[in-house]
Amino acid sequence: MKYALLACLISGGMLFAGSLFGGTQDSDLNVNKRYTVDTVIVAGKGWRTDLTDQSDKISAGLRRELAALIGLKLNTGVLDDLAARLKKEFSAREVSHHLLRSDTPQHVRVEFEVRPSRGNMDATVTKFLYSSKEGWSGAGAVGFTIHQNSLLFGLASDGDSLMERNAGISARYETKSLGTDRVNLKFQFESYHELWNRNTLDAIEAHPGLTSDAYRSRQNFQPTATITLAKPLTLEVGASFERLENQYPAAHNDAANALVTTLRYHRRLDQAGMDQADSQQDIDAGYTLRAATRMFGSDFVYVSHFWGLHYRLTHGKHQFLDDVSGGVISGRAPLFDRFVAGNSYYLRGWNKYDLDPMGGNRLVHNSVEYRYGPFQAFYDTGAIWDSGQPVSQKHSVGVGIKESIFSLAIAFPIRAGHVEPILMMGMIY
Amino acid sequence: MEQPSRGNRISRRSWLLAGLATPLFSVRAAEPLEVKYDGDNLHLSAPTLHFLIGKPLERLKDGAPVAYVAQVTLFGDDHVTPIKRGQGRFVVSFALWEEKFFVTQLGTQAVPSRSVEGLTAAAAEVWCLDSLAVSTVGLEPNAYYWLRFELRTADQKELANLTEQPVVSFRRIVEFFSQRPKAGEPRWEPLERRLRLSDLPRMAGRGRNG
Repeated sequence: MKYALLACLISGGMLFAGSLFGGTQDSDLNVNKRYTVDTVIVAGKGWRTDLTDQSDKISAGLRRELAALIGLKLNTGVLDDLAARLKKEFSAREVSHHLLRSDTPQHVRVEFEVRPSRGNMDATVTKFLYSSKEGWSGAGAVGFTIHQNSLLFGLASDGDSLMERNAGISARYETKSLGTDRVNLKFQFESYHELWNRNTLDAIEAHPGLTSDAYRSRQNFQPTATITLAKPLTLEVGASFERLENQYPAAHNDAANALVTTLRYHRRLDQAGMDQADSQQDIDAGYTLRAATRMFGSDFVYVSHFWGLHYRLTHGKHQFLDDVSGGVISGRAPLFDRFVAGNSYYLRGWNKYDLDPMGGNRLVHNSVEYRYGPFQAFYDTGAIWDSGQPVSQKHSVGVGIKESIFSLAIAFPIRAGHVEPILMMGMIY
Repeated sequence: MEQPSRGNRISRRSWLLAGLATPLFSVRAAEPLEVKYDGDNLHLSAPTLHFLIGKPLERLKDGAPVAYVAQVTLFGDDHVTPIKRGQGRFVVSFALWEEKFFVTQLGTQAVPSRSVEGLTAAAAEVWCLDSLAVSTVGLEPNAYYWLRFELRTADQKELANLTEQPVVSFRRIVEFFSQRPKAGEPRWEPLERRLRLSDLPRMAGRGRNG
């Protein structure tokens, strides 16, 4: 009884304290609540949107909520909430909102002003993965941003992406202060030491002249410019100056200097379904060309084409993903530039050294994935081969748990005979 | 030779200085805190104090409400012992189309909130100060007291902290005024004056003893 009385007193006190605010909500105390919002503007440094364009500046969900203010009576509490969300989304120093009289009497225009942070430092883990076949892979970077300039220093030890395990450092400088937000410049430097699998070394020995030797270290300097042709279509143009340090049969360096071009299209579409649940579609398409010629002083002459189409449909907790990729290399490409399957991206569950220990110069791959909340199931199919060789299509299936970038999956290659699954866990982007 | 004495005559220079100083004395004579007595309560006005200015006014004209917390303290003649305290929490907003101010005095457990709208800046300031009456029950008419008026803007969080108790806590109000204002926020120095009830001008027709 004593506790019941105490609970009543506490809840009564809380209710009373609540009632103090109940009658004095910020929005109730603002005389401007009588006006109707007819325009919402979000502006930052050098940009401004009235939400009518399909700009990628603001995420679809937030843009929808901002647009929903139009036609309603003003509620400054909601404006504060939206300003806080814009601040988070833009990592801004401050987001303020102010009201202006609109052209129509008794209507107001809401303007959100995004003030970018003066400078910040952040550390990110770009890869952290354990594969039961390849062991640990990890990469991380520390970035400094001052106004429109960013500098990134990274460390990596990656046994997953390429045929070799590469361990080393990277540095990148990026600037967007070129007088236009349509162009940004990027300068990247990488230096790696390589470790090779026995299967790869044996394959190189068995097929001399197909690709490069097993180099001991690799350095790359890559200046690029990214140009926004017409939103959301971007073109990246640049050059890659890659130097390979070989130890056998005698110490020497090879150069793999190439022109690099990437055309990318990304579009996000939102729609309200029949049951009023929101659906979202993401389309990401890209084409990359690398052309290494003697003109650039390259010891390797080749042209690599790679294209990919990624589609994602989200409806509530359901997600459907389809990823189609393909690539063709003509000429003699060094090992780092050959296609690899049987890693955490292509033909998951297969061992990359079983599929093609030197990588291939042809790749076709399709991955279909279904996710419900954190649960995922996927089916990968594709082939990796060298031109002139027979094509052998492979399949794999897997299940796992994925929450944001954290993933734990077990993948099974589909083949006759024994089943040897691969466990993958870590942060996969 | 003995110089002739000027005696008690006032020199021309003294007259000139006195003439120049006269307007200064009249400025000094205008009290920053004017107090009237209605027989029950003390009523304040501060003709030289303007708080709907500067950054708060910018925020108001951007359509945002601005909260003010005011405190009136009556000390004994020792200037240390507080005898009476009154406080007011005001939320001001500015109607963009009518270009007039809307003021709400937040209520307490005993007193409900009250609002007024359609005011000019000066009228809104007067309304706020006029709402801060200090009861004179128990005060000696011929004793001297010190009256202090303090004012600060408050953000939403601060206002919530001050009102989260069913009864407004004076301790919290005192703590609030002892904090430094946030960067960019205006700071008004406390206004003080020494007074005696029997010396104060009476407001006609108000109060039990008026």
